[in-house]
Amino acid sequence: MKLLVVEDDATTGNYIARGLREEGHVVDLLANGRSGLIEATTGAYDVLIVDRMLPELDGLSLVKTLRGAGNRTAVLLLTAMGDVEDRIAGLNAGADDYLVKPFAFGELSARVAALARRPQSLEAETVLKAGDLEMNLVTRAVTRGGVEIDLLPREFALLEHLLRRKGRVQTRTMLLEGVWDLSFDPQTNVVETHVSRLRAKVDKPFARDLVQTVRGAGYRITE
Amino acid sequence: MRTRLAGFWRSMPLRLALLLVLLFSAVSLLSLAASYQVTKNSFENAIRADLRQDLAGFRAAPTARALALLVKAESRATNPNRVILSYLTPGGQIFGNATIARDDEGFHIVSLAGGQAELDGSYLALTDALHGGLLTIARSRAELLALRDLFINILLISLLPTVLIALSGGLILARRSKRHVEVVSRALDDMTSGNLGARVQFGPRWADDLRRIGGKLNQMAGAQETSVAALKQVSSDIAHDLKTPIQRVGVHLEDLARDLPEGSAQSAKLQHVRVEVDGIGATFQALLQLAQVEGGSARARFETVDLRALAETIVEVFDPVAAEAGQGLRAELPDAACLVEGDRALLGQMLSNLIENALRHTGPGHEVQVVLSQSGDDMCLSVRDDGPGIPEDQRDKVLQRLYRLDRSRHTPGNGLGLSLVDGVAKLHRADLVLQDNAPGLRVDVTFAKATGSIGNARS
Repeated sequence: MKLLVVEDDATTGNYIARGLREEGHVVDLLANGRSGLIEATTGAYDVLIVDRMLPELDGLSLVKTLRGAGNRTAVLLLTAMGDVEDRIAGLNAGADDYLVKPFAFGELSARVAALARRPQSLEAETVLKAGDLEMNLVTRAVTRGGVEIDLLPREFALLEHLLRRKGRVQTRTMLLEGVWDLSFDPQTNVVETHVSRLRAKVDKPFARDLVQTVRGAGYRITE
Repeated sequence: MRTRLAGFWRSMPLRLALLLVLLFSAVSLLSLAASYQVTKNSFENAIRADLRQDLAGFRAAPTARALALLVKAESRATNPNRVILSYLTPGGQIFGNATIARDDEGFHIVSLAGGQAELDGSYLALTDALHGGLLTIARSRAELLALRDLFINILLISLLPTVLIALSGGLILARRSKRHVEVVSRALDDMTSGNLGARVQFGPRWADDLRRIGGKLNQMAGAQETSVAALKQVSSDIAHDLKTPIQRVGVHLEDLARDLPEGSAQSAKLQHVRVEVDGIGATFQALLQLAQVEGGSARARFETVDLRALAETIVEVFDPVAAEAGQGLRAELPDAACLVEGDRALLGQMLSNLIENALRHTGPGHEVQVVLSQSGDDMCLSVRDDGPGIPEDQRDKVLQRLYRLDRSRHTPGNGLGLSLVDGVAKLHRADLVLQDNAPGLRVDVTFAKATGSIGNARS
């Protein structure tokens, strides 16, 4: 993917750029809002990562101007504030997602990946598959290698969320938002516990683990 | 109603008015009584002087016979109702227009003109022995009686309207001052319930003393608001300005972690450092969020939230965690939706903080209950545990920022969880009560039903 990072704090900017490059992306790094806007309108980027507080042109104005010009490139806003109001202001300005500092690189990477594939197929799938695991969304039956797995509704919802985003890392906060519609992160390791319960049913009795832990980031299901 | 009336009678202007009316009435009565007495005395003196003059006139008669003739002549022109002339001659004959008879019941004046009829009314009499006979002249006291009636009339005409006017004036003043006092007390209620921007709104016709009290209250509230705002500003500024450096520290630590071989002792130490740094970041985030919640601007975004569905979700999220720790988590929810006006994310976080708190402070084998109940127009969200509870004198303190009970200093948490619960409850104008669950802690958050002004406007 081709990504643009606009961040005036050099340490954070380099850290993001380096991490994303290591993941195989092409990354351009700029330190001020105006050159960021010019670059964003001229270069063909998949995702823009924009800090909210920037010299010359702040992040919100950058996104607004971009959207005003009809540019639909996905934008992830970074901010030090991180209260609900800022979040709403950011999303209203046209940003697609919002990340509060301090954040872990895994969180950023997972969210960038989610944004890049944003135009998801809305066609109604009835069966989700990963390896020998099958989930029938109509009958709500889950089987692995022909063996029926009995899941609680919440385990079903979690597995469905992971299956629909097969191959992509889902962080704790992404799972809380996606599965339970909760936009805050409890201090207790609730997500870890849910995943480990799901694993006990989906992976433990079988030879290969489908649900993988991505260190420092989250979870994903692979083929 | 009765207590309102009682309160009304206790109001100061009415009491003052009543006191004034009493004083005024007493003074008026005394002065009227005094002037009546003086007037009456002078009237009586005048009558006595007249009597003495009359008598002197009759004394001029040289003989008893001449006196009798004079009395007879005078009597014809004299109304016995006003003046009585009576001369008892030495021979026992009575001349005059009436005479004084005496029986067991006292003196009577008997008319000589129309038979023996008695004359009513009281008289002042003067008797003198003249020429061997007895001359009696009496003048009616009718004028004195009329004087009494006159004074009673004066009393009624002057005092009654004064009393009525003073009383109704007192009532009007009392009502007005009651309204003004209510304005002050409402403003105070507002301030104590957390609205630091509340002020006493004066009317143009307020009494000076109330204005002064209100002004002082407003000054005090202003000073308090400024210092609270400054405190909040400082804490959010610190939190905000330190987040970028914390992010940088995190970045450097992550770099360092990559350079260290996995599984080494250094790597384990580094992991501890990273956990601590994450904790610092989370505390700052919580402080910032608290400042924002206390700012109250989230009210503008309120929407209808189903507390029942939200409680179900949160309990579901925490259920495996509780089970893993050997703790029970039980929800007791009504069948129907429980709608309140609010911010779903903040309400969710509030309930989540309460459940986390309960799970953290009770060990394995204990049970945490989430109970949602509706009574009348109120909805009560209650989280109860059977753990050690919170001593009564600490219950207010645990709501303060960063306050932690002594026994909790070594358990995870930053002392902001219950502050946020308090902040979110205040934001929703809900009532937060911490009480003894005997044993354990019971936290009740009582919301007013969603059909407030917003709900009505919608339906």
